[in-house]
Amino acid sequence: MNWTGKDMDIYLLQKEYIDTLVIPLVKVETKMDNMKTSASSTEFVMLLASLIETQFKGRMMFAPPFSYTSSTDLQSMADTTLQDFSDTTFKHVFFLTTDHAWLSQKMPGQVIWLPSIPLESMDAPLRQSILEDQLRQVLPKFTEGWSAL
Amino acid sequence: MSSKVSRRQFLSYTLMGVGGFMASAMLMPMVRFAVDPVLQPKGEGEFIPTPQKADDLTETPVRVDFTIKDRKDAWYKSDVSNTAWVYKEGDTIIALSPVCKHLGCTVNWEGDEKHKNEFFCPCHNGRYEKNGKNIPGTPPLGPLDEFMVEVVDGYVNLGKTVPNTLV
Repeated sequence: MNWTGKDMDIYLLQKEYIDTLVIPLVKVETKMDNMKTSASSTEFVMLLASLIETQFKGRMMFAPPFSYTSSTDLQSMADTTLQDFSDTTFKHVFFLTTDHAWLSQKMPGQVIWLPSIPLESMDAPLRQSILEDQLRQVLPKFTEGWSAL
Repeated sequence: MSSKVSRRQFLSYTLMGVGGFMASAMLMPMVRFAVDPVLQPKGEGEFIPTPQKADDLTETPVRVDFTIKDRKDAWYKSDVSNTAWVYKEGDTIIALSPVCKHLGCTVNWEGDEKHKNEFFCPCHNGRYEKNGKNIPGTPPLGPLDEFMVEVVDGYVNLGKTVPNTLV
């Protein structure tokens, strides 16, 4: 499910089945040297998120991506903004990111970190197969989280 | 005299010629409008070629990816990737849609080790038989949809989805 009006209607009717919220966290770099990497990893996270969404449409709700810049204090963002998600009706909250800094924070949910892969120069079939490989990598983390509770 | 055109004849020919042009200028567009629906290319119900050869198919469903090029959604054009589970039953080719009838997840053939020879939906353990029939007691409420199938030059072409006709 995406964070759209139509999907939200389905969620409100099917709350007991759609029990997982996934929040992409993207770092927006403002320094010229890092802007390219930041854009490329944002693209990667969002494409991967949309692939996971089509596979697990009936169980996962995807929030709009949360973005921050290099001066953001990650721990205080985790304690305020992201903390709000722990009070929702979702049983499982996952954060999807390529920024490893999140791994060392105390988070109100499980962080799924994976290294960014620059996809922009690949043709469509290769990109698709790379994304599917990545999906297979992260899948056990989701199922682990589901069976933990 | 016979080789000469009289003034009266010349005028009547000219008038007929000009009148004929004017009449056809009015009638031609009308005829074109009238037959227009016949000349329109069909947008829907089109078959999309896939890289799957019909001869390579077996009784085991295989995943076939295909792309709908230039799909128009209002003014927005995009390529839509799609997937089907395709297998052979006798001589007929069957293509099932991978979209779970419960909440729209993607189902996989033998996606669960405990249930061989079945489609499995990882979201809520929904299960389907090979022909797409939902197994009672699992969340899905209906059978998987079917794609229209056509074989062109040995390759499987897929059309739009229709409700399952096998169950």
